[in-house]
Amino acid sequence: MSTPSTPETVSTSVLIIGAGGAGLRTSIELASHGIDCLVLGKRAHGDAHTIWAAGGINASLGSLDPEDRWEIHAADTLDEGHFVNDPTAVETLCKRAPDRIRELAEWGMAFDRTDEGAINQRYFGAQSFRRTCFVGDRTGQALMDTLVQKAMDLEVPYRENLYITDLVVESGQAAGAVGFDMDAGRPVAFDADAVVIAAGGHTSLYRRSSSRPDENTGDAQALAFKAGVPLRDMEFVQFHPTGKVTPEEEAGHLVTEAVRGEGGRLYNTEGERFMERYSPTQMELDARDVVARANEQEIREGRGTEDDAVLLDISHRDDDYIHDRLPRMVEEFAEHGIDITEEPMEVAPTAHYAMGGIEVDFETAQTEINGLYAVGECTAGVHGANRLGGNSLIETVVFGQIAGHHIAETLETRPSPSLSEAAVQDHVTTQDALAAAEGTHAPAEIMDELRDLMWRCAGILRDEDGLLNGLRGLQRLRADAEDLQVQADRTSRRYERAQNLRFMFTTAETILRGALERTESRGAHARTDHEAKDPDWRQNIRSLPTGDGGMDIGLETAGQPSRRVQQAVDEEHELDYHHLE
Amino acid sequence: MAEMQLNIEIKRYNPEDDDGPHWESYEVPADPLDSALSLLLHVKWHIDGTLSLRKSCAHGICGSDAMQINGENKLACSVLVQDLVDGDGDTITYAPLPSAPVVKDLIIDQSRFFEKYREVKPWLITDGPAPEREREQSPEEHAMIEDATKCIMCGACTHACPSTWADPDYLGPAAMLKAYRYTFDSRDDGAEERLDVVDSPDGLWKCYTIFNCNEACPKDIDITRWLSALKRRAATSQASTKA
Repeated sequence: MSTPSTPETVSTSVLIIGAGGAGLRTSIELASHGIDCLVLGKRAHGDAHTIWAAGGINASLGSLDPEDRWEIHAADTLDEGHFVNDPTAVETLCKRAPDRIRELAEWGMAFDRTDEGAINQRYFGAQSFRRTCFVGDRTGQALMDTLVQKAMDLEVPYRENLYITDLVVESGQAAGAVGFDMDAGRPVAFDADAVVIAAGGHTSLYRRSSSRPDENTGDAQALAFKAGVPLRDMEFVQFHPTGKVTPEEEAGHLVTEAVRGEGGRLYNTEGERFMERYSPTQMELDARDVVARANEQEIREGRGTEDDAVLLDISHRDDDYIHDRLPRMVEEFAEHGIDITEEPMEVAPTAHYAMGGIEVDFETAQTEINGLYAVGECTAGVHGANRLGGNSLIETVVFGQIAGHHIAETLETRPSPSLSEAAVQDHVTTQDALAAAEGTHAPAEIMDELRDLMWRCAGILRDEDGLLNGLRGLQRLRADAEDLQVQADRTSRRYERAQNLRFMFTTAETILRGALERTESRGAHARTDHEAKDPDWRQNIRSLPTGDGGMDIGLETAGQPSRRVQQAVDEEHELDYHHLE
Repeated sequence: MAEMQLNIEIKRYNPEDDDGPHWESYEVPADPLDSALSLLLHVKWHIDGTLSLRKSCAHGICGSDAMQINGENKLACSVLVQDLVDGDGDTITYAPLPSAPVVKDLIIDQSRFFEKYREVKPWLITDGPAPEREREQSPEEHAMIEDATKCIMCGACTHACPSTWADPDYLGPAAMLKAYRYTFDSRDDGAEERLDVVDSPDGLWKCYTIFNCNEACPKDIDITRWLSALKRRAATSQASTKA
């Protein structure tokens, strides 16, 4: 195997790791300030998890409900997040959302329109007003198209199929990053004056997730943690109640909440509509975490199908109605020979979104390390203990703009240490060693075991024994990974997985330890041995890097919302309408 | 157990080692409801790891795995085995999209394709400053472009068009569909700039309404219809310029 040991060296002012909504919006802001930047994607350009977001993007435009305002959007977000969100993050998000939406429209995004010609807005779970803007059921794809085209207009350079393995920090300043080109198989060192992490979440740590295979492996969180930045809220992982279970390559992909919104019913294999026991008034339309836990409980107690699933049935509605309201679902299931107008769908909970992540100052999007920024799902704070649907897309563009703007304002006066050759060489040597590893354990096997372990021990329902088991299991898998069988070059899938494992271990540990620490149930974090929400736990759990590769746990009391937002919280706005997407 | 064994023929080419493209055969287990992509992945993961292909979302959204399957341009993730073969022992062929330089195996060099995309200025061009609220657009105006906004830039159409095969500089249906999408956006003022690009020897008039693009489109976009509308707009604008 020929492994070139000399890396390609690339210089840019601002390196952006991640080419989804967050990374692209950051690059657009920089380019419009005339600042040179480079966007890196692990996959083909224009392809990122952003395109999977279907339902919509929130902003209190008041197109249909003029009484909506940003304070109520903030109150809804805090409420869904069980008041452990970062209030600055929430208020900034909600205040700036309308401007970002109108900007997207101005760049051409073809939002659905009201009869009066304004941007149309739909109902979404747990929101007091119609606030969710959309483009059919492909809002994320439309957002990406718009951003890719805007970035193209501004001639933003990008590189695709580029994997970042390490950040480089010199004298407390971000100096660049090291990685490899997955096509050419060559290491690459990036020298930059500022680095933005916009590399998404970590939910493919779980056996079943709505992530694509071998993506969302917690790269962002682990990169930041290794560089010395604290993570927080890692115990909060959103599970969506209805993921597909077959075919295998689609397991975990979402069956949209709209199926339940349009009247879909959940049954166990005994033919029982079991939500009557869990939530007799709200039934299938209760909050995501409630329905996810019910589905999980039924499966655990042996009332699931052979595929470990419950049944979601919409066949009692008219065929025409189903075709009209759920075209994409009809089509997706038909592709696999299932006619949802006639038969039920097998569904099971699936890991969907990481509320936890990198700690940043939301006024600038900067981390504790000077010149190191983080934007999007990889950060913690906007969503607290549970995410309000429609808030993730808007987060990417609001904070991408803020990061880009702050970098633009500070770049000239910022010390810019250059990348030390020694640091680069260290990382390249580690990469080489991994490629040459001649042990016994295949990366894919360990990854499978880790995903099973996380599903079992840090999944929808958690308890102390399970979490401790999880930590012991993680230790064992880490030991196995010391004896890895790779023997493959940097273009191979095997090598990519071996690299993923490093990130996955770090991120998994922060989730397990955070979940063990939080002895209560709150939002998406459900402890069967601590079922109640505990007011004393209105705190954030921080994962603090110790410098020698270890981690400490820290606690911080959650901040108080401003008076204006608190007032909106106290007004208890609520929608007496159950229209979920 | 898989229901059948299929013969997979893949057009392979590694410019570093091979003189030219050649076909290689593989035996793979398959079920009728498997996607054409999953068979290729079986080859890559279990038989020959050197096989190169682009794929990402495997869900018909990212548009990365367009290729020629049994002679027709399709998204590999969105076509099922049962729609390609009758049964056990049958053959499925996979080749890169035609008329583009091959980087390796099923991967084509898309740089020309994306240059053409950029040439038509696929972004909103507006005169004057942005209004305080959004520019209005009625549902009817929105409906004019809705179908065209479904494009995922997979390239299946452009590389299915005989005009592309004959002339690599031809803009092709994908880029011109983008030109339609923005030119017919009621908020856009850039028609003239864009028509300058598409109303050219390598543009609209090489579309002979053969409908290959419509057949190839995995999103069922009525591309020919929208390109015809763009032709009419170009013709009227020519006429008014001459007058």
